[in-house]
Amino acid sequence: MQLGLTVVLLVFGVTAVVGLVGYLIDRSAARNDRREGR
Amino acid sequence: MNLNLAHLHLLINHFPTIGFIVGLGLFVFALIGRSDELKRASLVIFVGIALMTIPTYMSGSAAQEMICMVPQKAPNAPCANPGVSREVIETHRDAALLALVFMEITGAAAWLGLWQFRRSSRPSNVTLLTVLLLSIVTLALVSNAANLGGPIRHPEILSDPDAADATQPAGAQPAVAQTATGVRLGLDSGGLGKFILSVPWMWPVCETLHFIGLSLLLGVVLLVDLRMLGVMRNVSFATLHRLLPWGILGFGVNVLTGMMFFIAAPEQYTQNGAFHWKIAFVLIAGANALYFTMFDETWTLGPGDDAPLTAKFAAVSALFLWVAVMYCGSMLPFLGNAF
Repeated sequence: MQLGLTVVLLVFGVTAVVGLVGYLIDRSAARNDRREGR
Repeated sequence: MNLNLAHLHLLINHFPTIGFIVGLGLFVFALIGRSDELKRASLVIFVGIALMTIPTYMSGSAAQEMICMVPQKAPNAPCANPGVSREVIETHRDAALLALVFMEITGAAAWLGLWQFRRSSRPSNVTLLTVLLLSIVTLALVSNAANLGGPIRHPEILSDPDAADATQPAGAQPAVAQTATGVRLGLDSGGLGKFILSVPWMWPVCETLHFIGLSLLLGVVLLVDLRMLGVMRNVSFATLHRLLPWGILGFGVNVLTGMMFFIAAPEQYTQNGAFHWKIAFVLIAGANALYFTMFDETWTLGPGDDAPLTAKFAAVSALFLWVAVMYCGSMLPFLGNAF
């Protein structure tokens, strides 16, 4: 049980970090697209 | 003479150092001369060298096994060849691992710079400054790793190992120097490997993240490549181009978790034919990704436009390459000898 919980928490944690990085890059791209009228 | 991975390591181990010197020199000139073309060229070199460093490190592990053949039951025993120092080899390996980590981070930052070049004609100053700082640190680390590896010789690949000593003039260095010359700065890959194998949650976490990274990568690859082949024709390429960082993030997760597997049990991979093919396909697919990141002919594709023949070829080859990567990865225990 403890093993399963550790795996789930770590997987979600790393996935959340990856998602946050992706979101930040995309947000800056969106801002740039608006500025260039795309 | 039978070619093996020790030969490959000796062949490609200068690429990271020399390539990075060329890339960094070009990048500094580009920043001083404010040349966007040179900036793009140096960023491509950084990405290419970051990819090339992966097989350089892996073939180094294979070379270590060949030069210092020890039964797996006694991993810390002295090397079978008395002229080979285990300590020198492990110091070189640990320094190379640290250099590899920085190399991959620099490659990712350089790729982001290329992507921003395409989206907005020039990358942000923050990205360029990050690449500059990272590349300086990486060059120092990779040069140190190369320096530490310099004294290592491979008597086992000579047809007559005794001839190596016979050809040395009196008073010259022995075939294998016993001391490492350089800063002993590195990541303890032996300790890291033991940690990955001994902690019960480590392997399943890496395995799950490897699949999540693959899904992210393949999702983006499919969207981009199917658009090139005529599916979703009303979507412009500029729209899909915005998704590319997600694919690269997936690739980054897979490089990280894949390296964890490799460091934990290198002997499962170095002698595995399916793994050799997998890495070869990953390198070609990585180069293929650069085409969609920065080339003009795809960028100009608007809604309803048909992709040019070159883009279709790149799309078909990308689909083939990533399926081949997945196939070789799944077949590691069946075609090779892993697990």
